[in-house]
Amino acid sequence: MDNSIDMKKAQNKLQVGPSPHIRTRRTTKSIMIEMLIALVPPMIAAVYFFGWGVFIQLVVASGVAVLSEYVFQKMTHRKVTISDCSALVTGTLLGLSFPVTVPLWVVTVTSIFAIVVVKQWNAGLGNGGIGRNYLNPAVTARVCAKIFFTPFFTDWILPTGFLGGPYGGVDAVSSSTPLEFIGHGAQSVSNQVPALRELFLGANLGGNIGETSKLAILVGMLYLIFRRIISPKIPLLFIGSTVLVMCFWGSFDLEFMLTHALTGTLFFGATYMATDYSSGALTPGGKTVFAIGGGVLTALLRIVFDYPGGLGIAIIIMNICAPFIDQKLMPRIYGHKKRPEVKFDRQSPNQL
Amino acid sequence: MEFSFMYKEGGAHPDEQKGFTDSKPIVEASVPKIMVYPIAMHIGAPADPIVEVGDQVKVGQMVAKEGGFVSAHVYSSVSGEVVAIEKRPQAGGGEVDSVIVKNDYAYTRAEPIVKPGHSSEMTNKKIIDTIRKAGIVGMGGATFPAAVKLAPPEEAKIDTIILNGAECEPYSTSDHRVMFEYTDEVIKGIDIVSQLYPDLKNIYIGIEDNKKDVKKALEKATADNKKVTVQTLKAMYPQGSEKNLIKSLTGREVQPGELPADVHVILLNVSSARAVYHACELGEPLLERVISVSGTPIRNPQNLKVRIGTPIESVIDDCEGFSEIPGKVLSGGPMMGRAVGDLSVPISKGMTAVSVLTRQEAQIDEPEDCIMCAECLHVCPVSLQPILISEAFERGDIEKAEKLGAMDCIECGNCSFICPSKIPLLDNIRGAKAAIQAKQEG
Ligand code: SF4
Ligand code: SF4
Repeated sequence: MDNSIDMKKAQNKLQVGPSPHIRTRRTTKSIMIEMLIALVPPMIAAVYFFGWGVFIQLVVASGVAVLSEYVFQKMTHRKVTISDCSALVTGTLLGLSFPVTVPLWVVTVTSIFAIVVVKQWNAGLGNGGIGRNYLNPAVTARVCAKIFFTPFFTDWILPTGFLGGPYGGVDAVSSSTPLEFIGHGAQSVSNQVPALRELFLGANLGGNIGETSKLAILVGMLYLIFRRIISPKIPLLFIGSTVLVMCFWGSFDLEFMLTHALTGTLFFGATYMATDYSSGALTPGGKTVFAIGGGVLTALLRIVFDYPGGLGIAIIIMNICAPFIDQKLMPRIYGHKKRPEVKFDRQSPNQL
Repeated sequence: MEFSFMYKEGGAHPDEQKGFTDSKPIVEASVPKIMVYPIAMHIGAPADPIVEVGDQVKVGQMVAKEGGFVSAHVYSSVSGEVVAIEKRPQAGGGEVDSVIVKNDYAYTRAEPIVKPGHSSEMTNKKIIDTIRKAGIVGMGGATFPAAVKLAPPEEAKIDTIILNGAECEPYSTSDHRVMFEYTDEVIKGIDIVSQLYPDLKNIYIGIEDNKKDVKKALEKATADNKKVTVQTLKAMYPQGSEKNLIKSLTGREVQPGELPADVHVILLNVSSARAVYHACELGEPLLERVISVSGTPIRNPQNLKVRIGTPIESVIDDCEGFSEIPGKVLSGGPMMGRAVGDLSVPISKGMTAVSVLTRQEAQIDEPEDCIMCAECLHVCPVSLQPILISEAFERGDIEKAEKLGAMDCIECGNCSFICPSKIPLLDNIRGAKAAIQAKQEG
């Protein structure tokens, strides 16, 4: 054959090495990019409802996140890992976590805090960096922002359309978040709460820009599940258990229950934040407990405390518990009677 | 679409790549001038050469005799002259003593190892003896001598035979074609083996659910045997591993340190079953096997019936050679197979396939930091936590690696395959296993 490859030539170029000889095409970066793709529907909804100002907010949040990771890693002489896009994801999540009225300096400070203090420094609890932080950077940073900067963004403006918003010159209409009417120990829905349909679509609803349209989040969630980026059990059990607790608390009032499911950060957090790899549980059993625990805690915090931001606190509590849950729920090895008994730790083997 | 399809635990889904060969009929491979018979094509003691340079040998004549209880005879698959007994490269690196025979293309046959046509009257002892004489080993890649495996102590009370037709490695289609084209021979092989066990209740034929044609053929061939169940299993990797198959089909788990016989199960590879038939009924020792030769760089991928001892170059030639410079040539599949560094390595008893990867497919990127995605846990068929073992090993904490179950790893390769950060998990686990073993031996 004229164009055939000479055996000797082929032989000289043969590679050897241990099995397996093939690798999945998926990489850390491709996973992060898929996360970003899953965030596109909420971004579109945000722009649609709150105007083009949203872009500025997102660019600042993600730009600052990436930049602060770069600067931190340069300063501490670590390998610069911004190209894995994980900081970009954290930044984008944060950008979507504020109402459009938020001052940009708040966004900036929060982004730096998320990356430097929570992700890279791991809140002083040990080695940080991707896969090693115990707390979820986006969640922790926004809870802290809420505590320290609340006066700067309590105005939940209603959607203003694409050309509206704080930069559009139209006077924004302030409103309260729907959660304030059903939180505070309420057991039924007050008539000030928007209709379920509006809650689901995010139409005419104030709030953090990424979180108002549950429809958009649902699309993102399904994308992540079908692409096998996240385990479906985390968002489903998380939302399910919040709803279930609310179901009992509201004496099986369907409307009350659904209103809870569709208000606040529940959908957004359960989809994009509780599913974070690094701060969540590692074992299959641990993931189940993590999701149910988070969901129940969210519900309890909403009921017991006058605190609508229960989800963030719930996730942080579960983040702290995760290693202990994993320790107890290490899977039983095939053919063994008991679970392995060994201290569970997730510290990096390459201590800095 | 089933929900479980999207997120299944305990298996991975590497691209199957079976389309190259799964519908191609088995064809006879050409026989080259020089044949190579390594004395160690099995687990256990190597065989001892019993011929000398210059001897004339016939087809089916023994060239090396078993070197112990756990060992297997080696036969010449051609007639001709022994031209050398020397070290030759083998798959996975290293060299092994081999008997080299120059083919005279006369194919003069040696005496059969038993009188043909009497398998149904054989005593148990005679069956086992014949299998031993034929030099049969586990032909799915395990290469454990069949005569030892098929004769567990009486107390084992074997009640189940599993025919392993779950060919889960990408590219491999040889078992598939054997089950489809030599259905009767395979079934007769199982019949002979089943004579051995008085307590036998069930014969499961485990095949993957993507082999509809085979299921039909097998069901037809076993319609009048009440003990046989043709059971389809989800197509995923490593469905065909012993432990997985036993669990899927019987619900039993083999404890660490135990053999399948301890849970009353005997596992048999498709080609081994066929070899048992050839030995007991036709009086033929193990001389040939079916392999698939496949992969993008192969110009015309095929299923070949090859005489054992044929160098890999020859079967690649039969497939019209390479269409591009290959990255890796593998004995077996890409998940558990061994890389071949030299194309003169012969087709051995346990070689199921020659899989060839392009340079791009064989490319393995630099490892990055673990992102704790837990994928490696999800795909581990024995429920280990590969990343924790790997990290314990990297820290030098061997005791911890052991407690985490490093020794239970079946080296299926799923964890390394699936890791998005390209961490060489299995390499580290192998390292941990070696360290644990060294420690135990003190
Ligand atoms: S698959 Fe890789 S990145 Fe994911 S947890 Fe395991 S080792 Fe870490
Ligand atoms: S740890 Fe061993 S058994 Fe588990 S997936 Fe990795 S190679 Fe397979």
